[in-house]
Amino acid sequence: MAPVLVGTIPFGFVAGVAAVGAGMSPLQAIALSIFAFSGIAQLVVAQLVAAQSPALVTLAAALVVSLRFLMYSAALSPHLAHLPRRWRVPLAYLMTDQGFAMGVHHYGLPGDRSPRHYRFLGSGLTLYAAWQASVVAGALAGAQVPQSWSLDFVVTLSFLSILVPALKTRANLAAAVVAGAVAMVGAGLPYKLSLVVASIAGIGAGIFFEWGRRR
Amino acid sequence: MGPPPVSEWLVIVGAGVVTFLTRASFIVFADPKKFPHAFRAALAFVPAAVLAAIVLPGLAMPFGTLELSASNPRLLAGAVAFGVAVKVSNPLACIVAGMATLWALQALAG
Repeated sequence: MAPVLVGTIPFGFVAGVAAVGAGMSPLQAIALSIFAFSGIAQLVVAQLVAAQSPALVTLAAALVVSLRFLMYSAALSPHLAHLPRRWRVPLAYLMTDQGFAMGVHHYGLPGDRSPRHYRFLGSGLTLYAAWQASVVAGALAGAQVPQSWSLDFVVTLSFLSILVPALKTRANLAAAVVAGAVAMVGAGLPYKLSLVVASIAGIGAGIFFEWGRRR
Repeated sequence: MGPPPVSEWLVIVGAGVVTFLTRASFIVFADPKKFPHAFRAALAFVPAAVLAAIVLPGLAMPFGTLELSASNPRLLAGAVAFGVAVKVSNPLACIVAGMATLWALQALAG
């Protein structure tokens, strides 16, 4: 748990600072974090609000960066299918990149599976509390954090640490290389459209690679 | 001057709806086994593609323009963090190595 929190706390702080920097009030920054509870979605929303983008464009970008939750949700659902809805709704709400990684690890361990959702809930709530506390701190500190600390780099590194284990197969590597390249080429597009285009191109490259390998 | 506050609250609540629905999709509402194989195959590439689309520009164009040179400390720090992440499966090691490298390079550059 502790190794995960070391990334979560500065990331949450950065997300709080970014939302206030985008012109939201500290209350709005905290509300965004409680509703979305997703670092990258919060950062994308902050960037697009700062650019005064239309609400629909902002939500479309938030949807694209949240698409990976579909895959996490599909991967975890067989482990949670036996639970009543009052368990599945909060567990879904608490699911994050880090929570997914920990959940997959827990459910991969041998032995009795029955009490594991308590553990999943516990790690989710711990992460949630640490995240919200650091977002509040960032929202209140606002612009007082010196740029020279480069704290925003924690965001890139947090996602790098999740990306590397996702590169298990060559097809995944192809998806990542193409998505990364397209994201850089398309960086000039308005409304963070590069993220949308790059993600679709990367997924396409992964499918194409897999298809070519099977033939 | 920001956009009108109503639109900000709309975006805040909307972002909550979007993130919850993607998270809850299969855990709460649907059975992934009922979806076509092609859909699940595409889903498998989503994390690698989306995360790379966030990470690579963050390393190679930290301030909006492409900086593929040794004078870009984030590129070097990212390479170190990548190497650590390949060797060690602990996310903390990757983040600490990357931040330490960035701070060291920034200190060296004055």
